[in-house]
Amino acid sequence: MEITDRLAQWMGKTESFKKLSTLPLSLILNFVLIVPFSIMIYLSFTKWEPLAGYDWWRAPIAGIPRFIESFADARLAWALIRTAIFVAVVLPLEFLLGLGMALLFLGDFRGKKAFTSIILYPMMMPWVVVGLGFYLMFQYFGPVNLLILRPVFGEGAMIDWFTDPVLAFSVIMLADIWQWTPLMFLIIYAGLAAVPRRLVEAAEVLGASPSRILTTVRLPLIKPLVVIALIIRGLEAFKVFDIVYIMTGGGPGGNLTEVISLYVYKLAIVYNNTSYACAVSLIIMVAIALITRLAIRPLEVKVE
Amino acid sequence: MRTKGTAGRIARYLLLIAVCAWTLAPVAWMISLSFKGPTEWYAPNIVPAQPIVDNYINLFIPTNPIGGSHFFTSITEPITKPLINSLIVAGLGTLFAVLVGFLAAYGVSRYRAGGTFTIFFTLLTRMLPGATFVAPLMVFYSSIRFIDTYVGLVLLYTAVTLTYAIWLMKGFIDEIPPEWEEAALLEGASPWTVLRKVTIPLTKGGLAASALFIFILNWSEFLFALVISVTQVTTLPVQISKYVSAVGRMYGTQASIGIIATIPSVALGYLIQKHLVTGFTFGRVR
Repeated sequence: MEITDRLAQWMGKTESFKKLSTLPLSLILNFVLIVPFSIMIYLSFTKWEPLAGYDWWRAPIAGIPRFIESFADARLAWALIRTAIFVAVVLPLEFLLGLGMALLFLGDFRGKKAFTSIILYPMMMPWVVVGLGFYLMFQYFGPVNLLILRPVFGEGAMIDWFTDPVLAFSVIMLADIWQWTPLMFLIIYAGLAAVPRRLVEAAEVLGASPSRILTTVRLPLIKPLVVIALIIRGLEAFKVFDIVYIMTGGGPGGNLTEVISLYVYKLAIVYNNTSYACAVSLIIMVAIALITRLAIRPLEVKVE
Repeated sequence: MRTKGTAGRIARYLLLIAVCAWTLAPVAWMISLSFKGPTEWYAPNIVPAQPIVDNYINLFIPTNPIGGSHFFTSITEPITKPLINSLIVAGLGTLFAVLVGFLAAYGVSRYRAGGTFTIFFTLLTRMLPGATFVAPLMVFYSSIRFIDTYVGLVLLYTAVTLTYAIWLMKGFIDEIPPEWEEAALLEGASPWTVLRKVTIPLTKGGLAASALFIFILNWSEFLFALVISVTQVTTLPVQISKYVSAVGRMYGTQASIGIIATIPSVALGYLIQKHLVTGFTFGRVR
């Protein structure tokens, strides 16, 4: 057989292979994501709900009243604000704590491996169980009240954490910080440990203080890594659902710790307000898609 | 940072111990509660005065007394079924995600299949809050009678973990020099044979790590399981949420179900410790 023939045959095989390799992926994505996505767009322009008495595909197009409704929805606005606060508090704290821990772990010392192993298990835990753990810790007869507040400040200092919206939301944020600081720590630590020793030594020879070496040598070098970590963690934090559902269910006061995912869930499942839930979902999706489009550039940089 | 002298070393160890204490506290308290009887649930002691395993037994036999006293709750179903469901759904979801994801990752890595759209699209599905899919998904799934079925949940799990599967495995595939596969191709082997005889044996470790990582994600998944399950496909996390809302202040039982759900994912997590960062950043950081 001529070599060109064999090459042509080989090309033919790889061409079909190329198409086949992503076929199952497209099938699944189309079935589980694109179809619901289309339904969502359609329903968000209707006024359909499961109790309407007719099938959803018969629902007449009603235009944009659902979107107008959403602009007047104070509960939606509050859920968005609360989620934004959540991300704005949790993200910098996880970064700073992670950085602090990374600095603590730099260099060699006894038991480093053991300490690292202990510290990183929270991110392996099911989110629901993290929520449960903090729910149990902050009960009125939980260890935070009984072991810390009562012995130190006396009987009157015991706090009913989950009846106060600000305190309850703080506990939720604390749970997230507890679970995800280790990831930040690992990423920052890996970056810092990879900073060439000679750069740090050169700065030391020039008489720079440790804090100055950190801000002018180490941190600038790991900036791309930190940006990626913050983008990914920020988008994940925006999705927060499990720990809120478990700890407060959106309460106290019905919705005073409600975040956006929980509100959309309740619209769809609890209130059966399907077409409105679709409209709100669509708005959020478009917003996130725009953000992702902007955020994807730094994500394309691969950090080794 | 170089710490100088004994004082520095002591300060470092004190800080390390503080960090560890903070990290261990919630789980230590759950373990403690899970071995305590009802009389100690509201007490501050960490080591149970009279350790019992009734909390765990009660999960499997809900009518069984705890520490001698009977509790009547709305939960009558033992944990056995949710436990098996979690294993089935997480296991099958992982299997499909790895199969489909490996093929796609290989195509993207070697033949640039799918183009940038696939890449953007898979990333986007990770960025979108799952809750935004709940409403249309319920409509779609009720129309095709997928609510409360294993098929429905497994398909969902496959779809949402595919991003991780593709990116993780693409990283492992990229590490193999393409020349090795090209040599086999030029010898006349078909791409499928190359995949089976060259690529898979070389990426075995990476594939196993990816599979375990995805299993942990599926094991922990809560939102979709909560939405899709009614009575048949209740998973462990959903059962936990029922325990939190339904049994009031039965702290011991709540803690013991939390511990049971934690053990598999943390045990597997330690097996793939060095791949965790790569996993959670979909291969962006390695």
